[in-house]
Amino acid sequence: MTLDTIILQIVSGLSEGMVCFLCATGLTLILGSLKVLNIAHGSIYMVGAYLFFTCNRFLANIPGHFYISIFLAIIGAAILGGIIEILVVRPIYKLKDIYQYITTFGVTFIMMDLMKIIWGGSYYTINYPVFLQGPIHLSGFILPKYNLALIILGFIVFIAMYLFINKSHFGLVIRGITADRTMMSMLGTDVPWAYTLVFMMGCALVGLGAAIIVPITAAGPGMDVMVLIKGFIVIVIGGFGSLGGALLASIIIGLANAFGILFIPKVAAGFPFFVMVILLIFRPWGLLGKPIKLD
Amino acid sequence: MSMIIENKKVSSLWLIGIIVAIIFLLPFVVGDNWLSLMMEMIILALAASALNLLLGDCGIVSFGHAGFFAVGAYTFGLLLYYHISPFWVAFISGILAATLFAVIVGWFVIRLVEIYFALLCLAFSQIIWVIVGTWYSVTGGDDGLNGIPVLSSLYPVKNCYYFVFTVAGLCLVLLYLIRESPFGRSLHALRDNRTRAQAIGVNIKKHIYIAFIISGFCCGIAGILLVVLLHGAFPGYAGFIKSGEFLFVCLLGGMYNFAGPIAGAFLYLFLHHIITRYTEYWPLILGFGIVLIAIFFRGGIVGFAIRKISYFSIQKPE
Repeated sequence: MTLDTIILQIVSGLSEGMVCFLCATGLTLILGSLKVLNIAHGSIYMVGAYLFFTCNRFLANIPGHFYISIFLAIIGAAILGGIIEILVVRPIYKLKDIYQYITTFGVTFIMMDLMKIIWGGSYYTINYPVFLQGPIHLSGFILPKYNLALIILGFIVFIAMYLFINKSHFGLVIRGITADRTMMSMLGTDVPWAYTLVFMMGCALVGLGAAIIVPITAAGPGMDVMVLIKGFIVIVIGGFGSLGGALLASIIIGLANAFGILFIPKVAAGFPFFVMVILLIFRPWGLLGKPIKLD
Repeated sequence: MSMIIENKKVSSLWLIGIIVAIIFLLPFVVGDNWLSLMMEMIILALAASALNLLLGDCGIVSFGHAGFFAVGAYTFGLLLYYHISPFWVAFISGILAATLFAVIVGWFVIRLVEIYFALLCLAFSQIIWVIVGTWYSVTGGDDGLNGIPVLSSLYPVKNCYYFVFTVAGLCLVLLYLIRESPFGRSLHALRDNRTRAQAIGVNIKKHIYIAFIISGFCCGIAGILLVVLLHGAFPGYAGFIKSGEFLFVCLLGGMYNFAGPIAGAFLYLFLHHIITRYTEYWPLILGFGIVLIAIFFRGGIVGFAIRKISYFSIQKPE
């Protein structure tokens, strides 16, 4: 085990964690402020990945098509999220949790089949963009450019989200509806539309996460459930509705995965679950969440 | 008032008698295909009723009941597949394994509330899914276990039918008795108002824990019965989709009635059987069905029927 390998694993683990963060932060944003567990999040992720692939193929001759496609995937995911919110989630906000789970679960089924009709059941992948291809030499270490870019992007998104939620006016509204929906409504905020916007924001983030993962893995069936479960794990480890917690948990999951594959490849797939179970014994409310007691 | 209750008791006894008679006579009337479908229905009904002990009676959601289903199915299947133990020992071990798994998972999850509870159950079922789906040398991975040998007397469909219905029926009776017992009533109390239930001396954690274990136990039995029926065990038993299917069946039938999940399971598989004959886009239709039921038709079919019947039979309750 040389230092090179360790650094490489850290970079790949961190970049995986960042993608995980992008997907989970949308989920945790929606869960924290809307109190809705969006099971359809995985489907939106999958649509984002497919959209990215399709845009890439159609725009292949335009310079910078990679970045335009990322943008389009984000827009597409956000619009889809808005449609789902208005048609399906809005009628069920005031109902018990079970109806929210089950309705968005139904949406997952619908989307799964629709995507099968549109894109078929195959796996699609694309090349890295020219600018981010190949390795980079950093003080003696050889590191893949794309992964470094993902890590930087993840931190940028985290800082942007943090500033947005804590400093901007709309962030204030989000914090308001998180704390007390009725009071915000009385103070003149159009709460249903604020909800729609938050929902769309969460979906845009997951669209971004989906687009940037396509060159590394692929877009294909089954990715919806996997990312959903990863997102759940991140929420549970990081704490309910906590942005910093989501980042921390994503990094932990990414690193645990990277080193798990290095040392004990056979059980690597179960690693995130074990991390979660161990954490829950000591801190059932997550790393940065607020303690909730049953009684 | 007492007259009505007496009448109700007598008429429900009649109803149960008729149902048992129909179940008993059915193999003499319909073909083997329909018998297999009936068996799948009762197995799904058992699993959904087990989940409903948490969902309808305690008011808590679990996304991971497929985990118990798969633990029961795979323990039973593996013991028979590698000829480690005789049928009945494997049967008992399967039940014990599912119960033990429920004891372990329950110890973790009862300390959490609502969403955490649901998610953690999901995580545990996914651990099972990862294990059975990737441990190729033992569980056969994605292909699952095929051709598990069961008792030779269970190979004729009729015998299998009677076996499955007897076991599942006993479990359903057990679940019904639990639901109607003082224990079940205190579950309802803590579902409706936790603070009040605690104030009158209901130990919430202990009650939920026990309900969770019973639920896992019955779900494990359902898994075993499916292995008996299909002679195979597959990773899909532990999948996220399977857990969602259980939830949907409870919702379709109506989760606040004991008959709800049973009626839901029968209707669900019947529709599945009919619709997949004509189109391959069953998930699409299922998805729309789920959304429409959750938004417009929340009592489920049994809730709907009971409202209609009580409207006609008892005009004004005194």
